[in-house]
Amino acid sequence: MDLLTPHLLSIGPLLTLVAVALLVLLLESIITKSEPVSFWTSVAGLLVSIGIAVPGIAVHGSAFGGMLRTGGSANYFSIIFFICALLTIVFSRDYLKKRDSVFGEFYLLILFATVGMVLMAAAADLIIVFLGIELMSICLYVLAGFIRGSVLSNESSLKYFLLGAFATGFLLYGIALLYGSTGSTSITFLTEHFETYASSRLFLAGIGLLIVGLAFKIGAVPFHMWVPDVYQGAPTPVSGFMATGAKAAAFSIIIGLFAQRFVHGVQIGTLLAILAAASMILGNVVAIAQTNVKRMLAYSSIAHAGYMLTGLAAGNAYGRDGILFYLLAYAFMNLGAFGLISFMEQEGEKHLTFDDYAGLGTTKPFLAVLMSVFMFSLAGIPPFAGFFGKYYIFVGAVQADMTWLAIVGVLMSVVSVFYYLRLVMVMYFQDTLIGQTASYSASSAAFVVLAALILLGLGVFPSSLLAIITTLY
Amino acid sequence: MLEQYIPIGFMFIVAIIFGIVMSKLSEWLGPKNPNDVKLSTYESGMEPVLSARERVSVKYYMVAMLFILFDIEVVFLYPWAVNFRSLGLFGFVEMLVFTVVLMLGYIYLLKKGALKWQ
Amino acid sequence: MELLIPVIKISVVLGVLLGVVAYTVLVERRVAAAIQNRVGPNRVGWNGLLQPLADVIKLVMKEDIVPKQANRFIHDLAPMISMAIALITFAVIPFGDSITLFGQAIKLQIASVNIGILYILAMTSLGVYGITLSGWSSNSKYSLLGGLRSSAQMLSYELAMGLSVIGVVMIAGSLELDKIVQTQHGWMWNILLQPVGFVTFVVASFAETNRHPFDLPEAEPELVGGYHTEYSGLKFGLFFLAEYTNMVTSSAVITTLFLGGWQIPYIGLAGLPAFWVSILQVLAFCVKVYLLVLFFIIIRWTIPRFRYDQLMNLGWKVMLPLSVLNLLVTGLVILYL
Repeated sequence: MDLLTPHLLSIGPLLTLVAVALLVLLLESIITKSEPVSFWTSVAGLLVSIGIAVPGIAVHGSAFGGMLRTGGSANYFSIIFFICALLTIVFSRDYLKKRDSVFGEFYLLILFATVGMVLMAAAADLIIVFLGIELMSICLYVLAGFIRGSVLSNESSLKYFLLGAFATGFLLYGIALLYGSTGSTSITFLTEHFETYASSRLFLAGIGLLIVGLAFKIGAVPFHMWVPDVYQGAPTPVSGFMATGAKAAAFSIIIGLFAQRFVHGVQIGTLLAILAAASMILGNVVAIAQTNVKRMLAYSSIAHAGYMLTGLAAGNAYGRDGILFYLLAYAFMNLGAFGLISFMEQEGEKHLTFDDYAGLGTTKPFLAVLMSVFMFSLAGIPPFAGFFGKYYIFVGAVQADMTWLAIVGVLMSVVSVFYYLRLVMVMYFQDTLIGQTASYSASSAAFVVLAALILLGLGVFPSSLLAIITTLY
Repeated sequence: MLEQYIPIGFMFIVAIIFGIVMSKLSEWLGPKNPNDVKLSTYESGMEPVLSARERVSVKYYMVAMLFILFDIEVVFLYPWAVNFRSLGLFGFVEMLVFTVVLMLGYIYLLKKGALKWQ
Repeated sequence: MELLIPVIKISVVLGVLLGVVAYTVLVERRVAAAIQNRVGPNRVGWNGLLQPLADVIKLVMKEDIVPKQANRFIHDLAPMISMAIALITFAVIPFGDSITLFGQAIKLQIASVNIGILYILAMTSLGVYGITLSGWSSNSKYSLLGGLRSSAQMLSYELAMGLSVIGVVMIAGSLELDKIVQTQHGWMWNILLQPVGFVTFVVASFAETNRHPFDLPEAEPELVGGYHTEYSGLKFGLFFLAEYTNMVTSSAVITTLFLGGWQIPYIGLAGLPAFWVSILQVLAFCVKVYLLVLFFIIIRWTIPRFRYDQLMNLGWKVMLPLSVLNLLVTGLVILYL
């Protein structure tokens, strides 16, 4: 028994979350009007999990015979996931009431998806990676189709499920090939012996399939086709959750696999750079043409996957730390934006186009200001956190002799300013439409304000967070 | 190791031959004078209405799915049971946790009426 | 010589098994008659002893009808699967300790595999294919409903069955059936150590063999003949034989797992020669099995049939939690006693 205790303690946040999820499951089945109880239990559980995860950042270790990494980056990512889950749960409470789909299972699925993400971030073995991805994806498939009466939601769920299952097949096949060529599924082993096996075609094929599977999860071009439809159809807070939490989870694996030794010596760096450039160009250019705000944010999330891949292609500490910084900032700005959209959205997927936001600056200045903050941050305009994330990533790319990639990134950021600021312009410089309504509760408004303040804080004092990030690996 | 299975293989062959011979015996020895009425599907003497290849109640799918879940639990329990004494209290607690988690799911599906036959 | 012994064992076991099965049909009819205050078949041979033979001849001489709508291949395959599966389950059951014949020690078990219990569970769950396929292939509503019901029923009770065996495995520490029998020496029969497990296992066995009170798949007042509505001749006979074979096999499994198998308590104290001890043990096994078969038969003619929702509720809401609980209690008892 005593042998096990340190292992169990070191994965405290994960265990807490699992316990809370199981508790919610039990409450859900026993109590008849369970929605408020489930909601508050989930919120409390996530706050406690964050509290447990924060001190663990300073520790580095591994548990369960090298299957899990603990502390450090695992805890940092866990905190990102917990924040995403918390914001999603808070925003979706109003949203579900609006869409007439109030079920306590929603919070349950979010919690279990978060458990899957935490497993992914903590994985030191590809089998655990697979376990985490499946746990997360299956919950997300259901969440995407949670508004059962809506055709769009159903379409979103089905598309995500079919393509996601396909991508998981690639991933699993990649794992199998890697095991076949090296005899191990341990990520540590693979990263340490990369040069030994780099000449083996079986090994490279395995790496390639792994990249395909993970690129699907982050929605990088050319594996992005599902993103717009799925984000548009899914319940708005869930779209935000997928864009932030699920993306961060997939990045946690990619960073663990490729951020250090993997990139050097082989053409994987170039491969990632091409993926990054394609994602940035396609995501930003196509986003210009969108009239639906959710679709616009979907394409922008493809573009953001591109920015983050840039940091990975650079393959140095700057790039990696940039991604870590950016993922946290992105969680706040994107979820904040999706949260505001969910406030504005009306029954039957209405009030989602740019025109519906016309004159919001005069009718609802509170929402308009917040929305502008998130748009500025997404566009990467200082003093918001989005700027510094991009800055570190591009510096990393330049230092790794990938100046062309940094130039593409900066150019595309300029393009993105066009459509982000178009929303701001519509809000402040166009005449008001009649029938503009927004419904939100005080708690979700408080969380949006908090997200905006944190973005500002991270933008003004980026070094305090960066000091923590540099100690993670 | 595997030669223990040779007798089972023998028995398998014998049983299959027995089955084939028995099921063909009346076809070989019995009378044969089929007609349309005799060869039609039995429906209490009436003309058969529609095909029987219909969609079946979703309840059966639920049973099948739940069976897979719980059967996997049973499969996990077998190796554990064989080594139960050597695993001691540690093994017992581990399996207790596993079983409790599974039973939480069981309570959930019971309360949600997944096993309700009306 | 190496191969001769198993061949002889297989022929003897199959011969005895089929003989017993054939006469069990007769026994069932006579017992039923006795319970219902009738006489029963007593004309063919002395006291009706040749009745099974007459039944088989009658079935062989019937016309083999395959409905036009049916899927012919699967329709032919289904009874064969049912019968073959019922027969081969017996392969791993130890019907005695080893016996010395002509200076050679012979193990009284066709195949002593180290995963005996898994083999039995695997084979009994294969049995559902015969019934489901026959129900589907006939393309008749009665058959389809019978097949569906039976697959749902067998799946549900297989869980309770598998879980209740685990208690026995925990006590014996092995999946090997002869090991399990050997641990039940003296008074330490598993029926005394695992009473709850015994009850759940027996009930699940009734359900698995589709015997009364769980014979919903062929409930004749509702579904005519259930899955074998569209079968005639010896193919119908095969289902019939398979049911009785399953009954005998289940009794043998129950005997092995819970009633001490071939063990006779304290026979070593009697000081008999080893050869006669072995013979007595085989006889003891046969007697135990046949008493269980009689139990199966008597239950059929004394207890009314379950309704379908009652049956599923019993399986999922009573048997499953009960066997899990039994498991935990067994674990605690083994740990602390």
